[in-house]
Amino acid sequence: MGVIQGDQMVLNIGPQHPSTHGVLRLEVMTDGEIVSKITPHLGYLHRCFEKHSENVTYEQVIPYTDRCDYLASMNSNFGYVVAMEELMDIKVCERVEYVRVIMAELNRIASHLLGVGAYGLDVGAFTPFVHMLRDRERILDIFEYTCGARLLYNYMWVGGVSHDLPKDFKKICFKFLDYFEPKIDEYNQLLTYNKIFVERTADVGVLPADVAISYGVSGTNLRASGVKWDVRKEEPYSIYDRFDFDIPIGEAKFGTLGDCFDRYWVRILEMKESIKIVRQALKEIPEGDIFETMPKKIRPPKGSIYRRTESPRGDLGYYIESDGSPVPTRVKMRSPAFTALSCLDEISQGWMMSDVLCILGSLDIVLGEIDR
Amino acid sequence: MTIDFIINQFTEIIGNFPVAAFLVACASVGGLLFVLMALNAMVAVYVERKVSAFMMDRLGPMGQGPGLHAGKWGILQTFADAIKLLIKEDTIPKSADQILFKVAPFIIFIGAIIGLSALPFSSSIQAVDLNVGVFYIIAAGSIGVIGIVMAGWASNNKWSLYGAMRSAAQIISYEIPAGLSIIVPIMMSGTMNLQNLIEYQSGSIFGIFPNWIMFQNPFAFLAFFIFFISAVAETNRTPFDIPEAESELVAGWMTEYSGFRWAVFFLSEYANMFVVSGLAVAGFMGGWLSPIPGFLNSPVLGLFWFFGKVSFLIFVMMWFRWTFPRLRVDQLMYVCWKVFIPIAMLNIFGVGIWKLIFG
Amino acid sequence: MSKYFTNIYDTVNTLWTGMRITFRHMMNIKKDNVTLQYPEERWPRPERDIGFELEDYNVIRTRLHVDIDDCIGCFRCEKACPVDCIKIDTIKAGRGEDIPEVAHTGETSNGTKKGFVVSRFTIDMSECCYCNLCTYPCPEECIFMVGGPHSSKHPIDYEFSEVDRNDLIYQFAKKLTPKQRNDLQQPKEKAKA
Repeated sequence: MGVIQGDQMVLNIGPQHPSTHGVLRLEVMTDGEIVSKITPHLGYLHRCFEKHSENVTYEQVIPYTDRCDYLASMNSNFGYVVAMEELMDIKVCERVEYVRVIMAELNRIASHLLGVGAYGLDVGAFTPFVHMLRDRERILDIFEYTCGARLLYNYMWVGGVSHDLPKDFKKICFKFLDYFEPKIDEYNQLLTYNKIFVERTADVGVLPADVAISYGVSGTNLRASGVKWDVRKEEPYSIYDRFDFDIPIGEAKFGTLGDCFDRYWVRILEMKESIKIVRQALKEIPEGDIFETMPKKIRPPKGSIYRRTESPRGDLGYYIESDGSPVPTRVKMRSPAFTALSCLDEISQGWMMSDVLCILGSLDIVLGEIDR
Repeated sequence: MTIDFIINQFTEIIGNFPVAAFLVACASVGGLLFVLMALNAMVAVYVERKVSAFMMDRLGPMGQGPGLHAGKWGILQTFADAIKLLIKEDTIPKSADQILFKVAPFIIFIGAIIGLSALPFSSSIQAVDLNVGVFYIIAAGSIGVIGIVMAGWASNNKWSLYGAMRSAAQIISYEIPAGLSIIVPIMMSGTMNLQNLIEYQSGSIFGIFPNWIMFQNPFAFLAFFIFFISAVAETNRTPFDIPEAESELVAGWMTEYSGFRWAVFFLSEYANMFVVSGLAVAGFMGGWLSPIPGFLNSPVLGLFWFFGKVSFLIFVMMWFRWTFPRLRVDQLMYVCWKVFIPIAMLNIFGVGIWKLIFG
Repeated sequence: MSKYFTNIYDTVNTLWTGMRITFRHMMNIKKDNVTLQYPEERWPRPERDIGFELEDYNVIRTRLHVDIDDCIGCFRCEKACPVDCIKIDTIKAGRGEDIPEVAHTGETSNGTKKGFVVSRFTIDMSECCYCNLCTYPCPEECIFMVGGPHSSKHPIDYEFSEVDRNDLIYQFAKKLTPKQRNDLQQPKEKAKA
C-alpha cells in the first residue's frame, strides 16, 4: 500500500488501550497510518495457572481453569474434566453428558456473542454490542439459576456436575432459544450486512489456510480460512457424535476467503449451530443421578494424558501428568487464543492502524487464556 | 434583533458614542450566543444520552434530578457533568507545548461561536445579517480545524497527533462537497444572504407542499443529502468520527485534555452541530418558515420552527452515531472524492439545466 | 460503472435498514428496556423474570455462612478451599460435653457429638473465589452460601461491601478470652503430663 516511504514510528498500543481486549501491549511500527510490524507483549495477566495447579488437588484445579478463559468457563471446565475422566477411566452417566453439552454450547453462544459484539465495538458500532450483551445476560441468568454463578462457574466436576438442572430448566431454556433465534437476524441487519461494516472487514487481514495451519491456529479462525476442522466432529469427545450439526466454514461472503468478515461470519453461523445442538440435547436428555459416577477421592493412577476439546476459541488442550498422589505433577494448557495472537503480525502487515485493531478483534482473543 | 438594531437603540437612548455602542452590542449579542451555545450543549448531551440509551434498550441516566434516586429521568445529569468537568484538575503534560495547548480550545470555541452569529433564528432575530451569510458560515466552520491541529500537535502525544492529522484531512476534504452542494440553493435563489434565501422558499408547491429548496427539484434534494452527510463529517461525528475513534485512537486529539478545556471542546462540538444543521435548515429546509405553507408564520413562531428543524437534524446526527460503525481513513476519502464530489458537481449542472428548462 | 452505483445503492439500503432497527428500539423502549434501577429494583423481580422461582435456585453464590453451633471442627472445608481463605483452630474438649462458659454446645443439630471447641473460624471473603467447593465435604452441612435453598434461614444478600478491608474477614467462632482459652487447654496438657 505505502508508496511513499517515510520515517518509521513506534506506536505503543496498550496495555491501557480501550480495544486490546484485556491487557495486551502491542508495539507497532508504523509509517504514518501504515503498519509494518507488530510485536505483541504478553504477561500482564499472568496468574501462574500451571504452577498453582501443581500445588492444589485435582478438584481444586477446576476453579482455576474457570479463570483462564473467563468468557467460556464452562468449556474450560469441560476440557479439564474430559481429560481427567479419561485419565481415571471414568464413564459418567448419560444425564451428566447431556447437561455438560447443553452448558458448554450455551456458553459457546455467550462467548461468541461477546466476541462478535466487541468486534462491532472495535469497528465503531456501539449499539449492536449492547444488544448482544443484553442477550448474553440471559444466558448468564440461566447459568446463575443452575449453578449460582454468572461468570466463573466451577460447574463441571470430575465424574459429574456440581448441581442438577433446576426443575423448569427445559422450559426456560427453550424460551430463551425461541427468543434468541430471531435476534440473530436482527444483529445481521443491524451490523453484519451494514455496508460500512462490510467495507471495514471484507478483504482485510486475510489469513490463508496454509498460514493458519503452520501457525497452529484453530477453532473459528481456522474454519474461517476454509479448513473444515472441528474437534467436536474430528475427535468426538463426550457425546458430540450423537448430534446433528454442521461445521460452518468461511465462504468468502463479501471478500477473500479468510478475511476478518469470514471470521466474524463463522461465529454468527456457529451460534445457530449451537442452538441446534442445545435443542436436540434438551429433547433427548434422560433422567439420572448426577452424583452417581462421581469418585469419592480423586486419585488418578500414575500416567499422563493429553486431551483436546473445542472451546469457542479453538482447540483447548489439557496435558495432565499424575504420579498417583492427589496433587497433579503437571497441568499444561494448550491455549488456542495464544496461537491466534501469534499470527497477528503476519496478517496485519501493510494494513492501516485502524485495521490492526479490527484484525485483532476478529481473532477474538481472551487475554486470560493467553497469559494464564 | 441584529447588532445594528442594538447600536441604533444605544445611540438613541444614551448618545452618539460609536465605539461604546459597538462594544456593548457585541458583548450583549456574544453573551446571548454563549448562553445559546451552553443551553444547546446541555440539552443535546442529555438528549444524546437518552437517545443512545433507548436505542440500546437501556434507560440512560435516571438518578440525577428532582427526587434523587427516585427514577426521575435524570434531568440534571448534564449539570452534574458540567460541575464535574469544572472542578476537575486541569492537567497539562510536562512535555506539551504550553502556549499552544492552552490556546487551542479557544480557537475551536471561536470557530464555533462566530458561525452561530450569522444564523437566522427568525425573520427578525439574527446577530448579524450578512449579505454573504452562506459563504461566511462555511468559512467560519473551517477555523476549528486550526484549533484541532494545534491541540493535537501541542499535546505531544502520538494518539493526539494521529487524531489531528486525520481531522485536518477530513475536514478540509469534506468542505468541498459541502461547498459544492450549498451552491445549489444559491443558484436557485440567486442570493447568499440567508434571510433572502429563506424568503425565497416561502410559498408552496401545488398549494400543499412547502416550497423548500430540497423539494423543488430532485437535484436539490440530492444536494441536501450530500450537504448534510458532509456536515456530519465536518463535525467529526460517527460514522466519520475517525479523529476521535475511541476504539483506535483512545480519544484522538482530545487525549491529553481534561477538565474545563475538554468541556470547551465538547461545547464547541455541539455548537458546530448546531451551526451546520442551522445552515442546512436555512439553505434547504426553509429556515424559520412553517412546514405547512402560509400557516403559523410569525417572527416568534419562526424561532420555534427554526429550532424545531435544527433539533430534528441534530437528532438525525445522533441517530447516525448510535447506528453505524466507523469508516476507515481511506474509505472516508473515497466517499468524499469519488462519490460526493462528482455527484455534487453533476448536481450543479443538473440544477442549472433544470432552471433553464423549468425556469 | 454499474458496480459503483450498486455500491451506493447497497450502502443507502443497508444503512437505512440499520437505522430503522435502532429507531424501532427507541420507540419500544418501554417494552424492551432491560435496565433495573438498582437500589429500588432488585433481581429477581417477578414482573419481568424469565420464569425463575427464587426457591428453585439450586444455589446462589453469595457470601459464605457458618452455623458455628453445628461445626465439629473437622477441617474438611479448610482443606477443600483452593485459595486457603478459611482458617480454623480447635481446642480439644470432652466429647459431647457442654461447656457453658464459652457457650459451647456438645451436640450438633444432627445429633453428632462434638470433640472440639472451635476457637477460631474465619473466612476471608476478599479472598474467597465463590467456587462452592467447601460446602460439599461438610458432614454437618453447617457451611453454606446464603440464599437459594437456605433462603428461609438466610435470605439472599448480594450486598456485602465494607469500608474496612478487615471487616471482610468474617469471624464465626465465639470470641474466647485468653483466660478461657488457657482453661480449655489446661486439661489437655494435664492429661499429657
